Amino acid sequence: MTFLSLPFLCFFPVTALGYFLLPRKARNLWLLLASWFFYLCAKPVYLTLLLFVILTSYGAGMALGRKKRRWVLALCLLTDVVLLFLFKYVNFALSMVGEVLHGMGMVWNVPVLDIVLPVGISFYLFQAMGYVIDVWRGKAEAQRNFLLHALFLSFFPQVVSGPIGRAGELTPQFRQPHPFDWDKFREGLVRFLWGAFKKMVLADRLAVLVNTIFAAPETFGAVQVMGAAVAFSLQIYCDFSSYTDMALGMAHSMGFTLRENFDTPYFSRSIAEFWRRWHMSLSSWFRDYLYIPLGGSRRGTARKYLNVLIVFAVSGLWHGAAMTFVVWGLLNGLYQVMGAVTAPLRDGGYRLLHIREDGPFRHGVQVLVTFLLATVAWVFFKASSLSNALAVLGGMLHGPLWVRQSMGLDRWELLAAAAGLLLLLLVDLLSKRYNLWKTYLQQPRLVRWCILWVLLFGCLIFGSYGAGYDAQDFMYGFSF
Amino acid sequence: MKRLNKGKECFFALLFLLLTAVMINFVSDVLRPAQTMYGATWSSFRAEPEDSLDVIYLGSSFAYCDFNPSVVYDVSGLTGYVMAGSEQPLSITYWYLEEIFRTQSPSAVVLEGTSLYFKEYQNYTQQNVSQMPFSVNKLGAIFTASEENLRTGLLFDLSLYHSRWKEVGKSDLKKAIRPVEANHYKGFTPIDQVLDGVGETPFVHDRTVSEEDYASNLEWLGKILALCRAHGAQPIVTFNPSYTRCTPEAYARNKADILALDAGTLVYDWSDGFEEMGLIPTEHLYDGGHLNKDGAAIFSAWLGRFLTDEVGLVPRTQTEENAAAWAKSAAWWRAENQK
Repeated sequence: MTFLSLPFLCFFPVTALGYFLLPRKARNLWLLLASWFFYLCAKPVYLTLLLFVILTSYGAGMALGRKKRRWVLALCLLTDVVLLFLFKYVNFALSMVGEVLHGMGMVWNVPVLDIVLPVGISFYLFQAMGYVIDVWRGKAEAQRNFLLHALFLSFFPQVVSGPIGRAGELTPQFRQPHPFDWDKFREGLVRFLWGAFKKMVLADRLAVLVNTIFAAPETFGAVQVMGAAVAFSLQIYCDFSSYTDMALGMAHSMGFTLRENFDTPYFSRSIAEFWRRWHMSLSSWFRDYLYIPLGGSRRGTARKYLNVLIVFAVSGLWHGAAMTFVVWGLLNGLYQVMGAVTAPLRDGGYRLLHIREDGPFRHGVQVLVTFLLATVAWVFFKASSLSNALAVLGGMLHGPLWVRQSMGLDRWELLAAAAGLLLLLLVDLLSKRYNLWKTYLQQPRLVRWCILWVLLFGCLIFGSYGAGYDAQDFMYGFSF
Repeated sequence: MKRLNKGKECFFALLFLLLTAVMINFVSDVLRPAQTMYGATWSSFRAEPEDSLDVIYLGSSFAYCDFNPSVVYDVSGLTGYVMAGSEQPLSITYWYLEEIFRTQSPSAVVLEGTSLYFKEYQNYTQQNVSQMPFSVNKLGAIFTASEENLRTGLLFDLSLYHSRWKEVGKSDLKKAIRPVEANHYKGFTPIDQVLDGVGETPFVHDRTVSEEDYASNLEWLGKILALCRAHGAQPIVTFNPSYTRCTPEAYARNKADILALDAGTLVYDWSDGFEEMGLIPTEHLYDGGHLNKDGAAIFSAWLGRFLTDEVGLVPRTQTEENAAAWAKSAAWWRAENQK
């Protein structure tokens, strides 16, 4: 049951209606049962794993709340890491061992274990680990109320794909009354619709072109391969930010505020800034629970760079159990290290050319370079293997500029994608100046209706759904 | 929110939902492909004046390729319409007939019986059901006669056709705005061709159908016959002239089974009736199974005479306007069939 499936479009109104109609005491129980039902629909067998994580983190939180015992923290974190390893990385680790043994001249038939990744495991385990560490650090209270703790880890808008919440922010919200608020409801609804538009009209349309070219980059021209790489940068942004918009929109319509995950990341002027504006809930998690414990920038420049590389290698691995993700993560870390190392050089160059630091030219160049660097890194994220990634990157540099063959989208589809991307650009630019959702409410009724109709009919007419469409799962949805 | 605003906001929210529903319906009408041939021609059928049709022809492609109602009218004065669908199972035909009886009161219903050999679901459910006007009967067709994986799409058929936005033209907008006018085809699909090697030797081989599907088809046929009786229409089941046909024994079994459902049903096996009707297989068949345009003209003229002379159907009185429209249609086909 994804956010854009018919069952979910029935599930959500029923859940929201029940939430507002039930007496206050029963509301959290209703939300928890609804969230578990939502999770059950994804893969029933793995609800037990979610329950186990809820129980262990609840128990650890209670124990740490009474007395700060290091072994309790270590045991709980170890359990979570082992679970993540078992379900997500064991096959990858076995294949690595096989490679190493092969390199040493030994033969070992690497077994491939039939393990299905539990939906959302990377998200809720990180959320649980964050909670236990926060209790240890005294930043969050140990949650005595099991219902609230279970809801914190199971809340349906975020259980599958985040944003990765913090106990101190989310749990208190379950204690507050959330009477039906017409303004919040409408803000949430329009945000959900905007997310649906980005997913159905843009992400899934671009996916056709990207998949076609990435499947056989050698058969396309350099411009087409570059176009596919750029298209993937836009696709993954539309895809993941759409999920966030829908999750936040739904939660907001019920009165809850979840963490923002995106802040127009492609307007960033450096890769370091990009990572402060992309998947912010994960970036801040790594900052707070890995980078800072590793020493952050407190132990000298060399150690700081090493820490950045470690964090991004782990971040890459978090995104997927394959070398392509590790390379993608390391590349992003390397960009930041190189960015920091070459910053004085670049500043000097700009000064020499009399280019103002905050001038539009320098700003534009930095945004463009950041986008291109991110795009090159995304090639590794998208590619099926390292050789596929190298073939894509090679395809940008060699061969003909253009090969006349189908890229999966006809000119009308490309036109629809271009129009949608222009709208996305406009909305992202506006979001830098206004609070979009509040501004929406301030518009005259007819303008509000027209906005809703544009988004709704955009999805219904130009969206990728229904017969003849291979609807794509959310990229960060069911494989994390 | 103030009490006063609550009512106002509720009113505008409902108005918004209503307008949105109207717009979705309009967009669906624009994007749904116009079906003017190959069965399921519901929009032009609905343009026929109420209670003006003497005969309704039902079935599959064997009905819409073989029955030309304008030619039948030309020789007999019997008005009619083919409301068949490609490979249409009897379950969908039943719901078609229910819907037809909402606006028409035919004296006879002619059903081409090859559908007795169809599987529960054939290949054109989407086309046959999506063209039905929205009604309880369409819901019936969706939930009892359509594949489960098609049901959501059929309920909300914009999801089936929205990708047509690339090919939408003025005619699509026009059909959504202006009411469809009755046309000369009356549900008939002319095929002006004879495929190579057709009509040399008949292919006589019993069609394969599982006992389960056959029993289910008989059940739906029973409902169709009962529905005809309930509306005072004479049910007639035919097996049209064809060079891809079952053995006489198989048709005899079909006849016995049909009569067991309703002894008053008229059942005719015309599958080998070429000579009697003046049909020349090498000239009047399109493929082994279906008649071509010329074959349909000959067969329909023969059928018109048969329905009045043998079955005893009597044309109903038409309004002057409708009689003129049918006369025009008959004249148009006379000219077409001479080309």
